[in-house]
Amino acid sequence: MMTIDTDAAALLQLLQLVSPALPVGAFSYSEGLETLTQSDLLQTPAALEDWLLQELRYGAIRLEAAVVGRVHRAFLEDDLAQLAEWNHWLSAVREGAEIRQQSWQMGRSLVRLLNALYPELQPALTACEQPCNFAVAFGLAAAHCRIPVELSLLGYLQSWATNLITAAVKLVPLGQTEGQVTLLRLQDEFAIAADTILSLSDDRLFTSGWGAALASMQHETLYSRLFRS
Amino acid sequence: MPLRSYTSAPLRLQRPFYPDDSGSCQSAIVHTAGGMVGGDGLDIQVRFGERSQALVTTTAAHKVYRSSGAVAQQRIDLRLEAGAYGEWLPQETILFSGGRFHQSLRVELGPAAVWTGWEITRFGRSARGERFTAGEWQSATEVWQAGRPLWIDRQRLVGGSAVLDSAHGLAGYPVVGAIAILGHDFDPAQLDSLRALAGGADIGVTSLMKGLLCRYRGTSSQQARQWFTQVWQALRPQLGQSAACPPRVWGPSSKSS
Repeated sequence: MMTIDTDAAALLQLLQLVSPALPVGAFSYSEGLETLTQSDLLQTPAALEDWLLQELRYGAIRLEAAVVGRVHRAFLEDDLAQLAEWNHWLSAVREGAEIRQQSWQMGRSLVRLLNALYPELQPALTACEQPCNFAVAFGLAAAHCRIPVELSLLGYLQSWATNLITAAVKLVPLGQTEGQVTLLRLQDEFAIAADTILSLSDDRLFTSGWGAALASMQHETLYSRLFRS
Repeated sequence: MPLRSYTSAPLRLQRPFYPDDSGSCQSAIVHTAGGMVGGDGLDIQVRFGERSQALVTTTAAHKVYRSSGAVAQQRIDLRLEAGAYGEWLPQETILFSGGRFHQSLRVELGPAAVWTGWEITRFGRSARGERFTAGEWQSATEVWQAGRPLWIDRQRLVGGSAVLDSAHGLAGYPVVGAIAILGHDFDPAQLDSLRALAGGADIGVTSLMKGLLCRYRGTSSQQARQWFTQVWQALRPQLGQSAACPPRVWGPSSKSS
């Protein structure tokens, strides 16, 4: 019975953390998708699915997810110095100014929320140092709630994709239902990505997303913008 | 001028050149073997002394040949002491299809030190129609100051992968490049003038923590270098330096205008 209770609590806390209702402002970011739609590179559900798939297989989201996993482990091992190190690492890796601001703004909002939800987390949150990236705060919260690391990564990746699909519904001629179909079709990819990322040693963390980096950098000069990245 | 230098084959350091009377020194590294094969390793360490100004480049494109399995490795360590201004502006790397190359570049900035660096990579001998259908390339760049990373860039390309053609990756282009300046805060408004210099190529310009970054993706390493040279020339005076003077080893084609 005890196990079931624990699992239910962890599951419910994961659902809360990955919910689009989490007040961190994720809805205001497109991570370069807005650039792509304006240059006609993202006009169909298939193109959206392919972009998300490439990001999951080769993109910078893998580095974020890797940090979620490392922060999760560091928290459980009570290794507070590691928290700051991975937070600084992620800030240095997220090179586009808008993407970095996104990660910091969402991180700041989540830290504020976590301070209210779990006051006991405060020493660990402070140890991350400012500005705290969203993935770092997320990893801490997940570990604190005893959500297993694999599930934490799955949830992180799925909520990331959900957010971008929601953005795409506003940008692309794409219906809500098509968006949900895309999300469902990516299920196996989330699992593969989470699995692979957890198995990577530090020296094997790389991206191959030149197009994604350019799309996010070019977003800074888009003439009209709905999104902040 | 270089106070101490030590090289062993296949690397050699050319006699330093002083393009003007500012005291700024230009040094070119010669790779006498012309290229690398699997199993080769190159180590380069440069220390820029306190308040020194120096540019380091290479005399020719860096080639990495097809490998039967072993990886060619290059490790570069740059240490800039307080107030130094160092430039690392090598010529392009050409990775033959089937080549396997791992490179790492680590820059350590002392207080008030500023670093400008660029890198241009061509995947496959695209001039003769070769694509990077096999092989592997890995590049890890890190710039640190006072125990914190300012910029970490970790790129990888597997020959023949979907990355070659996807819009998310290379979109069919064989050349990528980046120029970064770290240790100096730029006015964001200035980034626009750098974008304008690129003349419509597929590029991006953004601010880094205490620096800026320009990226290029396209068909021509010449075009990349021309834009990077213009960026370098536009920003150099504001970094407290004399006007940029392209090293002679780049040849006449490197002149921007």
